[in-house]
Amino acid sequence: MKFKVSIIISLFAFLIWGCEDEPIPTPYEPTPYEIDIPFGFPTNLNIPDDNPMTVEGVELGRYLFYDGRLSGRTHSDSLMSCATCHRQERSFEAGVDHPDFPGGFPHGVTGLNTHHVMLPLINLVWNSTGYGWNGFLYPDNPAEELRNIEDFVRLTILAKDEIDSDTTTVKNLFQSIQGYPQLFEKAFGSSTVTFQNIERAVAQFVRTLISANSKFDKYMSGDVQLSQSELNGYVLFTTEEGADCFHCHGGYGNPLFTTHLYYNNGKDTEFTDPMDRFLISGDPMDHGAYKATTLRNIEVQGPYMHDGRFATLDEVIDFYSHDLQVSPYIDPLMHHINDGGIQLTPTEREDLLNFIRTLRDDEFMTNKEFSAPAKFPDE
Amino acid sequence: MNIIFKITIILSFLVVVTTITSCSTGNPEPEYQSGKLKLEFAHYLNGQELIFDSLMYTNEAGNNYLVNEIQYFISDVTLHKNDGSKILLDGWEDIHYVDTDISESSTYSLADDIDIGDYKKIGFTFGINEEKNNTLMFVNPPKSFMFWPELLGGGYHYLKLNGKWINELQQVSPFNFHLGIGQIYQSYPDSIIGFIQNYFNIELPDYNIIINNNETTTLQIIMNVENWFRTPNTYDHNQWGGDIMQNQDAMQLGVQNGHDVFSYNIKLVE
Repeated sequence: MKFKVSIIISLFAFLIWGCEDEPIPTPYEPTPYEIDIPFGFPTNLNIPDDNPMTVEGVELGRYLFYDGRLSGRTHSDSLMSCATCHRQERSFEAGVDHPDFPGGFPHGVTGLNTHHVMLPLINLVWNSTGYGWNGFLYPDNPAEELRNIEDFVRLTILAKDEIDSDTTTVKNLFQSIQGYPQLFEKAFGSSTVTFQNIERAVAQFVRTLISANSKFDKYMSGDVQLSQSELNGYVLFTTEEGADCFHCHGGYGNPLFTTHLYYNNGKDTEFTDPMDRFLISGDPMDHGAYKATTLRNIEVQGPYMHDGRFATLDEVIDFYSHDLQVSPYIDPLMHHINDGGIQLTPTEREDLLNFIRTLRDDEFMTNKEFSAPAKFPDE
Repeated sequence: MNIIFKITIILSFLVVVTTITSCSTGNPEPEYQSGKLKLEFAHYLNGQELIFDSLMYTNEAGNNYLVNEIQYFISDVTLHKNDGSKILLDGWEDIHYVDTDISESSTYSLADDIDIGDYKKIGFTFGINEEKNNTLMFVNPPKSFMFWPELLGGGYHYLKLNGKWINELQQVSPFNFHLGIGQIYQSYPDSIIGFIQNYFNIELPDYNIIINNNETTTLQIIMNVENWFRTPNTYDHNQWGGDIMQNQDAMQLGVQNGHDVFSYNIKLVE
């Protein structure tokens, strides 16, 4: 009897002891990332079904966004990440004062200039129309590989005039960097780094870049009053007899301050850029048409227009006031075209600029959640 | 013995109750019979399907012009019965946006179940009535892009009809034939002392609209674009210029001309 009891106890002890070293699989339970929709903003978000936002995905994306090894290289001379060009203090655009890109004209690792200047990475979670100056990435594109921010990440890494790398090199590099496989596991349930998950993580982080706390936003919510000059500028902004900016650039009823649509705004009389909107739509009226950019934080961005022809907002306002060019492709919304522009007086010009400056969101441009991480996972 | 007796009693009771219950409805109530209504919008000019971006049209005033895009709201879709009564469909949900650049917007499937029968005609509000036309009611594109600035009355454009015409200087000049809330100015353009609701009701001509049980009746509604610029008013772009949002006199002509802009074309039953 004692023998049997001993056997049973031994077996039980063995089972318990045997179980102690069994790895307990960690369940993959990422934390959903909730986007707070600011007052008046759209409730429809452009988040692909196969890349839901998670806290872990956003965290990983933030590391990747800022890690120069996204170039697939480790030498200090050839590091390049999204943040190399997209600077937070410039509303995630280059800015004319970019230390490495004089005038705000970015070039890639190999020195080739990009075809167009940059667009800011703000409020893109509300862009369902198309990404890029000509909208070549759009959600219902028959070409499945050209649909969303995830694809933009891949194209940026592959492009000769940007990061000029390849998917295998990049994913292998991050697989080898201490700390990253664990972050991929937390974000996507596998420590194996895939390029698709790199795209997804960066896209998730970019979708968190929301700017909605400018002086104008506070005016919308009744918290502050605009100055008389700013109010005068607002009237000009939102009236056809004024500057009529609102049809393309929004306002109180469209606080994105863009339609994300494409317009020929009268910059030229001849159109030789093969990458205008016509390339995508095939509509002859889209020659010379480009995306109307958001005017949020426009003050700190630049250079302006798809080719960066204007360095300052003053130049932009002067263009719309006096220098419009007539062509058969001018958008009908440019109804002041035959006057050469909206013909602002010096006072009106200053008022309009003062209103546009109310769209600056300093909190966004200093928000630590969007800033470079204090250190990378292997540091 | 007792148990068997009790079970028998209970079973008998259940049979009786079930029988009574099943018979209690007497004659079955008639099944509610209803159908659906779908509107399909098309855009014609001079009796032909509109060709966009072609300077091939001449309006009543003699302006050569082209149309680039048309965007508008219709609401308060109402079916009129032969006895004079009306049925308002879809209540507050019935504001539909049509955009000639968005093909799916040309179809409006009304949600309400509609009593079967013959209806005399259909009507709707062009634009959005005062009660419903509230700023920030639509926060999602493309409807949100139709917002009408607060200081000009707020809410939403009823219509954007954008195009170009050859002006008196023989220049190709853009026009934005936009309708929405008008303004009364004390001193133009700075001092607004009141607003004018420019939405208007449209009743299409009598047309025997049949709603059949479990079927969807489709009506094709045609916007005859040339009518915006004629009857009863000859609208001259040379007189009114490229923009009219702050010009109630011009918008008023559009409102008056708008009453006969729509017509039926064909009717289908699915």
